[in-house]
Amino acid sequence: MMRKEIEMRILFTLAGLLAVNAVSAEPLSDADEIVERANLAAYYGGADGRSEVRMIITDGQGRQQRRQFTVLRRDVADAADQQFLVVFSQPSDVRGTVFLVHKHVDRDDDRWLYLPGLDLVKRISAGDKRTSFVGAHYFYEDVSGRRPSDDTHELQETTDDFYVLGHTPKDPGSVEFTHYRTWIDRETFLPMKIEYTNAAGDVYRRVEVSKVDVFDGHPTVTVSRVSDLLTGGRTDMQFRYIKYDVGLPEDVFTERALRNPPREWLQRPTD
Amino acid sequence: MIAGPIGDNVSRLATERPRAVYFAVLVVTLVTGALMAGIRIDTDPENMLPVDQPDRVFHNQVEDRFALHDTIVLGLVNDRHPNGIYNVDSLGALHRLGRAILEIDGVIAPDLMSLAEVDNLSQVGPGTIRFEWMMKEAPVTERQALDIRDKVSRLPLLMDTLVSGDGKAAGIYVPIESKDLSYPISQRIHELTAELGHGDDVYHITGLPVAEDTFGHDMFVQMGISAPLAGLMIFVLMLYFFRSAVLVVAPMLVAMATVVITMGLLIGMGFTVHIMSSMIPIFLMPIAVVDSVHIMSEFADHYEDGKEPKAVIRQVLGHLFTPMLFTSLTSAVGFLSLLLTPIPPVQIFGAFVAFGILLAFVLTIFLIPAYIVRMRPASLAKLVSRHKTPHTDTPLARTLRRVGAWSLAHGKLITGVAVAVIAVSAAGIYHIQVNDNPVRWFKASHPIRVADRVLNEHFAGTYDAFLVLSRDPGETVGRFRETAKELLDAAGTAANEDAIAAGTAAADGMITSLRERVEAEADDVGAYFGELIGAVDDALFDTGDPDVADLLERLMALAEEAQVESKYFQRPDVLQRVAELQQVLAESGYVGKTNALPDVVKVVNRELRGGEAADYQIPATVPAVAQTLLQYQSSHRPGDLWHMVTPDFTATAVWLQLKSGDNQDMNRVMRGLDDYLEANPLPADVELRWAGKTFINVIWQDAMVKGMLTSLLGAFLAVFVMMALLFRSLRVGLLAMIPLSVTILTVYGIVGWIGKDYDMPIAVLSALTLGLSVDFAIHFIERTRALLATHVSFDVAMPKVFEEPARAIARNAIVIAIGFTPLFFAPLVPYITVGAFMAAIMALSGATTLILLPAIMAWAGPWLFPKLDRQGVFADSGAEPEAA
Repeated sequence: MMRKEIEMRILFTLAGLLAVNAVSAEPLSDADEIVERANLAAYYGGADGRSEVRMIITDGQGRQQRRQFTVLRRDVADAADQQFLVVFSQPSDVRGTVFLVHKHVDRDDDRWLYLPGLDLVKRISAGDKRTSFVGAHYFYEDVSGRRPSDDTHELQETTDDFYVLGHTPKDPGSVEFTHYRTWIDRETFLPMKIEYTNAAGDVYRRVEVSKVDVFDGHPTVTVSRVSDLLTGGRTDMQFRYIKYDVGLPEDVFTERALRNPPREWLQRPTD
Repeated sequence: MIAGPIGDNVSRLATERPRAVYFAVLVVTLVTGALMAGIRIDTDPENMLPVDQPDRVFHNQVEDRFALHDTIVLGLVNDRHPNGIYNVDSLGALHRLGRAILEIDGVIAPDLMSLAEVDNLSQVGPGTIRFEWMMKEAPVTERQALDIRDKVSRLPLLMDTLVSGDGKAAGIYVPIESKDLSYPISQRIHELTAELGHGDDVYHITGLPVAEDTFGHDMFVQMGISAPLAGLMIFVLMLYFFRSAVLVVAPMLVAMATVVITMGLLIGMGFTVHIMSSMIPIFLMPIAVVDSVHIMSEFADHYEDGKEPKAVIRQVLGHLFTPMLFTSLTSAVGFLSLLLTPIPPVQIFGAFVAFGILLAFVLTIFLIPAYIVRMRPASLAKLVSRHKTPHTDTPLARTLRRVGAWSLAHGKLITGVAVAVIAVSAAGIYHIQVNDNPVRWFKASHPIRVADRVLNEHFAGTYDAFLVLSRDPGETVGRFRETAKELLDAAGTAANEDAIAAGTAAADGMITSLRERVEAEADDVGAYFGELIGAVDDALFDTGDPDVADLLERLMALAEEAQVESKYFQRPDVLQRVAELQQVLAESGYVGKTNALPDVVKVVNRELRGGEAADYQIPATVPAVAQTLLQYQSSHRPGDLWHMVTPDFTATAVWLQLKSGDNQDMNRVMRGLDDYLEANPLPADVELRWAGKTFINVIWQDAMVKGMLTSLLGAFLAVFVMMALLFRSLRVGLLAMIPLSVTILTVYGIVGWIGKDYDMPIAVLSALTLGLSVDFAIHFIERTRALLATHVSFDVAMPKVFEEPARAIARNAIVIAIGFTPLFFAPLVPYITVGAFMAAIMALSGATTLILLPAIMAWAGPWLFPKLDRQGVFADSGAEPEAA
């Protein structure tokens, strides 16, 4: 039922998108190329971008927690290094908490954390990126994107709407899944569904996109959900006040900026 | 008595239509027996309390709110390696085991706890921290193994819980979806440990679900072995007394039909078989044959060759009907009194044993006569000849005669001794320790008891209790709503005025929807404020009106303030207070360890600030605590936080690990905390309550003690009234109460003096004693009175009481006492206790009846039986009785 609804919405969105983008004639057959394009579509829209995220974390008993934060992103180059600044605004007791990520394609990311309540800037050691992001069912890795080179990819099926790919980690010891599958939209190249399978052979985690809108010419996920199928918990994310190519300067993404978040870039775009 | 005609009708029906009686009993037995197929075993100690008992309801709410599950505990102990479990092999085994257990169906994988499944938070250089798995891969060098030791030693939440302080034991806590799965899961774990091969490691499996499951299994064994064994024992004993297998088959049929019908009905009516109800067969078996013994004894006495068996049996039944009815009724009342105890399994036990006793009576008066009239004349003749000759000159007969003479001669001395025994027993009762612990229901050598002992030696404790603190956010929400509505009214007016001034339609949909949010239900206060703040935030973006924006800003500030206020257990001062309570609990001496939210906050705070011991403290401000917890949630196991606090921070649970599940120890912990709270009360709006299995045990045991006292008093009164009615004399009624009173007082006096814990089986024995002891008194007094009425003098009549009547009483006492001895071979302690005390009770009440009652009659006879006294029966009561 749920899935049907999502599919309908996706179709509806696609119909809208068709008007914008030309239909690609031949389906792609190279898995790596599809993954590369998906990576670009999902994480590299424009030269930079901003978005406000509202996160509703619901546990297996239906109890909610909320988080609200602004994400600023700047690409060093397409499919290359990136910088992210995540600034929390809600709840008020964590307001001003900041994460800074310098994502590198050829080495471990650099990560920093600022906690205003403790007046503390900490560097976070490049350890495991598959830990919860502030209690949500999303992982740190989901925020900045998993490196395509970490997995081997296989195109399993091409449906009318999706490329269905299977991914196997090159270093199985570093992750909690044995493999995962993605359903990549053939038009937008946005991954619309991801399912992770554990050692027991069960799909235990699912990421679904239920709404895509176009901002500044870039199809962008605006509503998505991660479900923890073992506990029944889930995290819903709404992305709003999205804007691309805002001209974010590099000094917004420095350790020095942690204590003084760039107010002008955090304000909501009014146009 | 109206009983006479009923007895006549019954015996006429039974003797005229024996086949119909057989057929009816057979059909009922088969039908009810078939119901037994639907048996459901219940071993959950929680069910000692009614489902709606407030503490039980609260306990279950706490389990839900804090996502606490039934847990199997696997302990790995290494006493041989110098570094204990911190070696490559042991940690490797722990790692492989943990991973393999995660894949077992029914295991709640996200909540499984072991070194391989928890996080470590550590320093990796100046200003840099690292979040990582404690032991993602098993160590391959001894150095790595010792590194893990160093990491664990910095994490108080793991120390003594996942690894023992002495480093010799590690635990895997396996939460399971349902108790029903505990058997297959623990079997699978056994297989996994066996596959690993042991090396220096010793494995122990325990935890309440395993204990319950094993208990259920042993209960079946008990019912399957002990009850048939009891039947066999009784059969052999009766064979000894009556020396006719043909005849003895009859009471065995009565006993079996009674057990099958009673258990069939219990199961068929949808009741579960609990530890108490599993004892029903073994209780009913001996009780069911008692009436038959009376009928057969009398029949053998009165039957002579050539007599019509039908006539004899009718005559026997005619005069045994009333005493049998009364003994059955009083025994039934004794057990029915258990209904006054607020413990469902005990109530069901009492009700069905009572039913069984009455059923046995009915079956006896129909089946035995029917059986006897269908016996061949040759068998009857043999029976009579065998019965009559030996019985007047057996050791039992001779002993009873001597006992009678002695008792009558030393009336006052015996009475004096009895009074002294009562006094000593009363003092013993004062020393009774009420204590129970379901794990102690296993024998000391049982693997579960061994695991329990070993793991509690190493770890902080395997017994759980939870101290739950909560603060109702209702008042905060209420105050917020009032102010918020005023602000929204003002905003509505402002928006309206501006709209009028601008000549546009008033767009007050936003205000209306905000008002709805303000007035919405706040059951989940976290969601309430979260949604409201989100909506205000959206409205702020949408509104172009500076006045409205200003009011919305104020509303936002107000909501945020109220939100912070509602998160009570995030406040540093409150956490400090919780930490103080933990300190008090730890100092009680009965708590191995407590785990709670302040511990999490302190550890994370320390690591964020650089890892120095001095920073192991709760930070000073609410945002600091909130941001500390935000970091704790950024782990592999964010859900662990919700075992300690609810997501809205309105309630927190302190997990106590106790080394003992004895409710006395739990009581001491609770009393210690009460004393502290009396001197240092919590704020009025903070509620403190207990939960956890160990606490639930305290509650039902408390209910049991109080309930048993009510039961006992109620039954005592009821039986006394029945006695007074039966004997139509208050004085004789009182006399009839003496054997049971002395027996109960003495038995519980012994319990007090020898220091045996007063537990559930001991408690239930009071009802049993009451029901069975009075039987002996009824038979003794009834026969004595009859003999006194037909004889000219007390001294002449009394020795006759010590012939057939005394023998019947002694025989019944022996049958019941011996009938319970198979319980000695039961695998579970409560059954053994019942067996031992049954023997003691039968011996005591048989002895008091046969010694104390004649002794009292010897000096109080004229007062007890004034009518007989007027007839001159007691005229020579001072003289030596006629001795044998």
